[in-house]
Amino acid sequence: MRILVYGLIAGMLFGFFLQKARVIRYDKQLGAMRLMDMTIVKFMLSSILVSMVGVYTLLDLGLAQLSVKPTVLGGNILGGLVFGLGWGLLGYCPGTAVGALGEGRWDGLWGVLGMLVGAGLFAEAYPSLKKTVLTWGDFGKITIPQVLGLNHWVIIPLFVMGGLTLFWWFEKKRL
Amino acid sequence: MNTADDRGWSPYIGGALSGVVFILSVWFAGKFVGASTTFVRSVGMVERLFSAERVAKMDYFVKEAPKIDWQCMFVLGIFIGSLIASTSSGTFRWTALPDMWEARFGPSRIRRGVVAFTGGLIAMFGARLADG
Repeated sequence: MRILVYGLIAGMLFGFFLQKARVIRYDKQLGAMRLMDMTIVKFMLSSILVSMVGVYTLLDLGLAQLSVKPTVLGGNILGGLVFGLGWGLLGYCPGTAVGALGEGRWDGLWGVLGMLVGAGLFAEAYPSLKKTVLTWGDFGKITIPQVLGLNHWVIIPLFVMGGLTLFWWFEKKRL
Repeated sequence: MNTADDRGWSPYIGGALSGVVFILSVWFAGKFVGASTTFVRSVGMVERLFSAERVAKMDYFVKEAPKIDWQCMFVLGIFIGSLIASTSSGTFRWTALPDMWEARFGPSRIRRGVVAFTGGLIAMFGARLADG
């Protein structure tokens, strides 16, 4: 029960920040895809860089464990391409479609309904996908530091510096 | 519509604060954020109303059981948080058509509805295929 309350609080804070930063908008999401407005990329990458440092600190302190998703090239690549096609049509991703509804953008509702149907269709297709696409290029639960055989604190600063360089470039180009 | 007066926060600040929320979630709840599994669990709950036996036998609903979990509450929270932020700042607007969409594809709500539904369906299938 306490876990459910934590989920609700985390979601409310995230939804609040998404709305305040104006990222739950079709125009912002399509703007990023059309390389016109990098607002959502700034938001996503900022949250990733901050959580990367925080989560690995918790890991080192023994306060958390990683939850690594398996790398399956067939599923990751094909799924990513298919997701991108749908995202470009809808203009909201699963979490932001719900957030968009919260600020009155009710075209997100059609997206949410489509997503429920898409999830249902995937459940139907899963038995055959599991035997085909989801076996192609299966590397299991790997991480970049583990594959390179380096400590994560060698990799994390590189990601942070790469992210900050990208931010600097976005601002220079006024994207 | 009416976005000129709508001053928001820097996406760097909003993103960084969200990152702090994600860290606290991992710390206190042991949960990493996501949204798309919730759509699987939800549609499983709907399908179960019609055919509980069939859902119980389906591999994917065995893997992602149809139930209310941490992530489901997280997704519900996104809606509430966005509602609070928009109504408290006067930026809540009932909008059927995004500006960029309307400028390119015209004022038909049906056209937007059909494309949004189709896009959502495709995006979710892809997200689940990539296990994202």
